[in-house]
Amino acid sequence: MFTFTPEDEKQIEKIVGKYPVKRSALLPLLTLVQRRDGYISPEAMKAIGGKLELSPAYVQSVMSFYTMYHTHPTGKYIILFCHNISCQLNGADDLLAYTSKKLGIDVGGTTKDKKFTLHREECLAACSGGPMMRVNDVFHENLTTAKIDKILDSLA
Amino acid sequence: MSDDNQVNITINDQPVTVPKGTLLVDAAKEVGVEIPVFCYHEKLGPFGCCRMCLVEVEKMPKLTTACTQTVMPDMVVRTESPKVVKAQQGVLEFTLLNHPLDCPVCDKGGECPLQDNTFKFGSGTTRMEFDRADNDKVTPLSPVITIDRERCIACQRCTRYSDIIEQEQALVMLNRGFKNEVHTFCDEPYATRYSGNVIDICPVGALTNTEFRFKARSWNLDNAETLCAHCGCNCNMTLGSRTNKLMRIQTRPNDLVDDGWICDKARFGYDFIESEDRLLEAGTVVGGARKKVNALDAAVQVADSLSKIVDEYGPESVGFLGSAYGTNEELYLYQKLFRSVLGTNNLDHKTYQDTPGLPIDHYDFLNVETANLVLLIGSDPAEELPILDLRIKKAVTRRGVKLAILNDQKTALDKFAELSSTYNVGADGAALSALANGLAEGGAGDESVTGISAEQMKSLVELIRSGKKVCVVYNPASLTGNSIHMLKHLLSVIGKIPDIECGAIPAAPSTNAVGAMDMGILPDFSPGGTPADKGLSAMEMIDKAESGELKALLMYRSNPVVDFPGGKRVEAALKNLNLLVVHDMMETETSQLAHIILPSNGPGYDEGTTTNIGGRVQYRRRGLNTKNLPDWKIVSKMINSLSEEPVEYITSFNVTEEISEKVPGYGEINKKSIRKEGKTREPVTSVNGSVPQVEKVNSADQGLKLRVATRLFTRDKILSTSSPLAHHFLPSTVNVHADDAAKLGFSEGDEAVLSANGAEVRAKVEISNRCNPGAVIVPMVADDQGVQGLAGGGSVSWVEVKKG
Repeated sequence: MFTFTPEDEKQIEKIVGKYPVKRSALLPLLTLVQRRDGYISPEAMKAIGGKLELSPAYVQSVMSFYTMYHTHPTGKYIILFCHNISCQLNGADDLLAYTSKKLGIDVGGTTKDKKFTLHREECLAACSGGPMMRVNDVFHENLTTAKIDKILDSLA
Repeated sequence: MSDDNQVNITINDQPVTVPKGTLLVDAAKEVGVEIPVFCYHEKLGPFGCCRMCLVEVEKMPKLTTACTQTVMPDMVVRTESPKVVKAQQGVLEFTLLNHPLDCPVCDKGGECPLQDNTFKFGSGTTRMEFDRADNDKVTPLSPVITIDRERCIACQRCTRYSDIIEQEQALVMLNRGFKNEVHTFCDEPYATRYSGNVIDICPVGALTNTEFRFKARSWNLDNAETLCAHCGCNCNMTLGSRTNKLMRIQTRPNDLVDDGWICDKARFGYDFIESEDRLLEAGTVVGGARKKVNALDAAVQVADSLSKIVDEYGPESVGFLGSAYGTNEELYLYQKLFRSVLGTNNLDHKTYQDTPGLPIDHYDFLNVETANLVLLIGSDPAEELPILDLRIKKAVTRRGVKLAILNDQKTALDKFAELSSTYNVGADGAALSALANGLAEGGAGDESVTGISAEQMKSLVELIRSGKKVCVVYNPASLTGNSIHMLKHLLSVIGKIPDIECGAIPAAPSTNAVGAMDMGILPDFSPGGTPADKGLSAMEMIDKAESGELKALLMYRSNPVVDFPGGKRVEAALKNLNLLVVHDMMETETSQLAHIILPSNGPGYDEGTTTNIGGRVQYRRRGLNTKNLPDWKIVSKMINSLSEEPVEYITSFNVTEEISEKVPGYGEINKKSIRKEGKTREPVTSVNGSVPQVEKVNSADQGLKLRVATRLFTRDKILSTSSPLAHHFLPSTVNVHADDAAKLGFSEGDEAVLSANGAEVRAKVEISNRCNPGAVIVPMVADDQGVQGLAGGGSVSWVEVKKG
């Protein structure tokens, strides 16, 4: 069962209050739920739709447009691996394959211990530092296999 | 000519003058220039996602989409320049990138905008030589709609329809780029009341009618331009048949009636035409067994028997129970038979009270859009008149019309309403009286009786007073006792408010309810609302049949055993008759009791005119052939066998001509005048009744008041369990107010037993504050639910609700 906590309710009121029309608060609310749960379940979509007078289908439609919203439970650390031109020319594909093998999961999957989720992502606007990946909110640039080892090992 | 609201432009060197704000794509139509489109649909408004309508406008650096560009003074537009032709070919090449080449087996083939545009505007070849995308070919969106994802060109007509027209946002585009697909929320069935329209507006063969898939090619169909016979909207539709078999039903846009849409009951609810329960043969019952007879012989026998009973017991001993499902012609002839030939005024077609004529204008569907305020009284358009529901949604969401609701139950339209007041079940008379008084001299009525607070009543009065143009939509069938007279009083009060323009739509749910009243199927009015000596009403006829005073009844397309309040009592009363004639298209609980059966052709096979709730008379054309005689021939045989001046009708239009001559208000109605869009009949004169006393609701010692709610998809003689719409059927449910649920100890989903009047109905408890405390709402979900059996004789019925 998905419910908003009293703390969420306060946040929601504040967010919705910022906009002239309720539906404008859709993306911030999706973000709020994802930050809390790591993903957005169908129940959550219904609850958000209820808050903003939008149909669950509409919420799902908007959400599915953005690749950074997740529809399935994610690990503690979400790794978004850029594969666009700068990163790719600098070997992003090999590094992604390396990370995938190291974690023992496919791209899009989550480790059994629920620690890591790995995704291939479109340009994250750090082309000068490619290849790069984002782990939760932190950008890691100029990656090498050694650097990836170090980063992943340092995460508890 | 310097009209400020007109704009002069040039399209392909031809001058065009169109109103300000017209889109280029529509302006081009004025001079016969076709600009190809996919995503643009005139009812959905500009969108500009498919890029098919690119045109060249002088002084604009790039090509522009004609479906989003409005006309500007002195614009010079070219739609056939080399630049445009190249763009059109390029767009089509892209659109066809992943479109499969299955036109030879595609249902849309022959009537497909993509096919047509490709032939007219395409290059005839492609540079894309790689494999096409491989997508799902058969995905059910619902049991009645199948989507072929390979064919979809993502024009978003269907998703915009769901958002803008039906206001449900049930269909949406999920994902992005190449993965962009039409879906519902988590792939739940797309089961709105109007879902089928997306099949018609899909410009490719992606959304298909599951029933019709691969059954016939569109050019092989015989298409009859006919009307829907389900509700009082009388939407225009095309009935496509092949070798005399119904194949499919499509919209046939008539902006004056349906705005281009039909509901799913119209589109998918006609398989009863080929039902095994059809009554196809006339029969007489001898010794409990039905014997097949010739229909004309049976008609003569009916006439003779009725006339004998009249001779023996007097004309008041026979009666006619018609229904609003007949055409004007059929009902007019029956009226003639009973009133003129047999000399009785015992005619009726309904169990509620109603009178023809309005003290204010009779408004039509267009007035709903042009009004400032729509006041909905006792009506639930979503369940009763779905296309009126769409029109009201359009008025509110796109025309800025305010909606006020006065009802004893919450409805789907409440969320669109500026103000929604719920009166107590059975307190309609008191609530209408309170509103009339409030408008005339102030005051708010007694909240303990009406259930509406003084504050709400005051806001409602204010809203109406400031309405400028008020369109009242009321459902006479939902009013109890004599409240219809109070409603007419309210209408005349609204009519007297200074500086207000107003009119009303009598929104009774049945197909031809207005026509039935106009044709004089009423105990107290002859055709055209001319007062007549009062005969017996439908319920009085049942009473008199019970007491033995009424000897003979003819039922035309009516099934009182199930549809009339009283249940078992009605059945017993009918069994008491010396003669029961049932003229119907389906075998019913009532036809089982009949002594003589006459077959009725019914929708699809019949033809004639019907009058919709907006007063528009339209022609329902025959779509399928039958060897059986038309109903009007059977009735006219009865008349002629008794009458000294027989009238022979060659076609149904001969009856229409007689109606035109004899029925006030129908003078202008003839074959020619109603041909295209139908014609509004002159409003029937209103008889000024005195303002009635508000009936006191008889209070029972215990129990709750019963409100039976209409449902669009009911498991009845029309929609059987094998209907494609069976997924809409609900289990027997009772809506209980939270206060009452707490008192009775019910929780959500409990099994309840409702009992009254010697009848019992089992239902699942739904705790919803759909009505005020002290009452329950039971939606009529099926004939065998037997909910009408609970209703007693009085204006309000009481039921005992216990745990089951």
